Amino acid sequence: MSEIKKIIKGCLAGNRRDQELLYRRHAAKLYAVCLQYSGNDDEARDILQEGFIKIFGNLDHYKHEGSFEGWMRRITVNTALEKFRCRHNLYRVDDIDTIQEPDAEPDNQDYAGLEANDLLGIIRELPTKYRMVFNLYAIEGYSHKEIGKMVNISEGTSKSNLSRARVILQRRVGSYTGIKKKVVNE
Amino acid sequence: MNENGANIDLLFRNGLKDFEVLPPPDVWDGIHPAVKIKSRPIILLRVAAVVTVLLALGFLTYRWSREVPGRSAESVMAFNIPVTSPVITVPLDKPSYSPVSKLNKVNNSSSVLIESDNQAAIQNEIVPADSPDQILNIQEIKYLAITRNETINGKFLTPSNTSKGNSIKIKYPDLQYFQENIPTKPKNRWSIAAMASPTYYSSFGSGSDELSKQLAAAEQPIVSYSGGVAFSYKISKRVTIQSGLYYSSLGQKVDGINSFSGFRPYDNTKGDHNFEVPTTTGIVYTSNPDVFLSSDATNRIVTAYSSDVFDPKKASLQPVSSSLSQNLSYLELPVILRYKIVDKTIGINLIGGLSYNMLVHNTVYTTVDGNKYPIGDTKGLNPLTLSSSLGMGMEYNFSDKLSLNFEPTFRYYLNPFSVTTGSFIHPYSFGIFSGVSYKF
Repeated sequence: MSEIKKIIKGCLAGNRRDQELLYRRHAAKLYAVCLQYSGNDDEARDILQEGFIKIFGNLDHYKHEGSFEGWMRRITVNTALEKFRCRHNLYRVDDIDTIQEPDAEPDNQDYAGLEANDLLGIIRELPTKYRMVFNLYAIEGYSHKEIGKMVNISEGTSKSNLSRARVILQRRVGSYTGIKKKVVNE
Repeated sequence: MNENGANIDLLFRNGLKDFEVLPPPDVWDGIHPAVKIKSRPIILLRVAAVVTVLLALGFLTYRWSREVPGRSAESVMAFNIPVTSPVITVPLDKPSYSPVSKLNKVNNSSSVLIESDNQAAIQNEIVPADSPDQILNIQEIKYLAITRNETINGKFLTPSNTSKGNSIKIKYPDLQYFQENIPTKPKNRWSIAAMASPTYYSSFGSGSDELSKQLAAAEQPIVSYSGGVAFSYKISKRVTIQSGLYYSSLGQKVDGINSFSGFRPYDNTKGDHNFEVPTTTGIVYTSNPDVFLSSDATNRIVTAYSSDVFDPKKASLQPVSSSLSQNLSYLELPVILRYKIVDKTIGINLIGGLSYNMLVHNTVYTTVDGNKYPIGDTKGLNPLTLSSSLGMGMEYNFSDKLSLNFEPTFRYYLNPFSVTTGSFIHPYSFGIFSGVSYKF
């Protein structure tokens, strides 16, 4: 029996040590996912907490087919989406329509020097809807049709949001790399 | 643009792949108390074990109730006379038939018929009884003679009909044997009792973490009640086994949770609940969309409508209460042993046993002007719990049939109400049961 299977079995038997071990092993990776989908740290923390409660609560449904990490990631992303839908239905995200788009596409395609932490910072600055669509399409690999159903928007809106998100990201990445290079040269 | 888009996608996909950020250290503290353990097979095994025990007890009780009173009523028991019973030889040339006459001392009837091998009737004289405690059943004597007829050589026991040299050998068991089997009226050992009690419910909390301690500190037990019908079977003079069906309602008040009404127009979520409140007995899920919950303490409520998202005061929601009440109802199936320490007009019993408790009702509410305002229910509760009880019962016997019972009982729940881990909180209750018992 593989180690992860033993840990899962222990978790299902109510062994607290195994539960904590499972959490400690995967919390950092899943927290990065939570940060990617949330606008602030408190929200990311809530997603991680709720996500892990769901993971433990549904462990008996995991069939040991496919990646366990991928299974946990999907639950975490779904938890983030639930939170997003909750908020989006309550309040209109007006800033989406009023946000200023970049004047032109950035020329600089040299992304060298950007670290994961920088990328995370950039992605979290996106308006919520753009961030959701970009994450689901570019990182998770969902289609626009699937994203439309997940986020409660039309397929066309999903495409439009992705396009806008990309432009903003390119612009910010360009600015970011420019600043970095300038700092390095100085 | 498409190519640029694909590039930027790749940049983020590859850049964030395997990226890790350590979460705040206290996140785990909020996770482990809420982790539900689905141990259905264990529950099923426990249920099966209890059913087996109850069936076994029921079967044994049935056997006792059938066998004990019926033993002495069956005259056919004479067939079981031991072969090693003493043989009494009656020399027929002497007009002395002490064994038979001893047997017949007891009979004030005019004659006794004893069948011999040649089917002749053996008639005896009337012999006055020496002592009334040696009363024998005629029928038994008859059986005795039939079963041992090979040893009876004589025809009649009357002196006039006996011939010299003949003797009668009669095997018979000890008189004591007969005396033990004197048929008596079977005593009914069953009784029924109706009992009820107010109960005080609380819990032994051994949660090692801060969250468990915080949760327990905000909870106050509320007075509950329990009552039901019990059937008892007296195994011996002092020991009684008891079972029955009880209904108990218990609960607790959770302070520091502010509830507001009028939230329905603002509730646009599609989920089945808006708020989660962890407690020591489980997580309260709201099911009433009209209710809004907030807490003074941070992280006390899990919700999408946190204070930075929704302000109940700005939305002019109506405050309802500052606490929640959890109510749980159980059907109890007890197996109790009672040992009678003092057996007088006022009897004293020592009581101990186990109960299986089935959750039948689970609700969370808050009280407004004496009216209950439903909020939701508690998730993660064990559908079955096992409790042990220990008590001292006082019994005042009005008559042979009727008695008044008064039983202070302490009950400890062997497994927690909730399937949350990490808290190790075991509830207990104390009740003073009183009621009336009727002996059949």
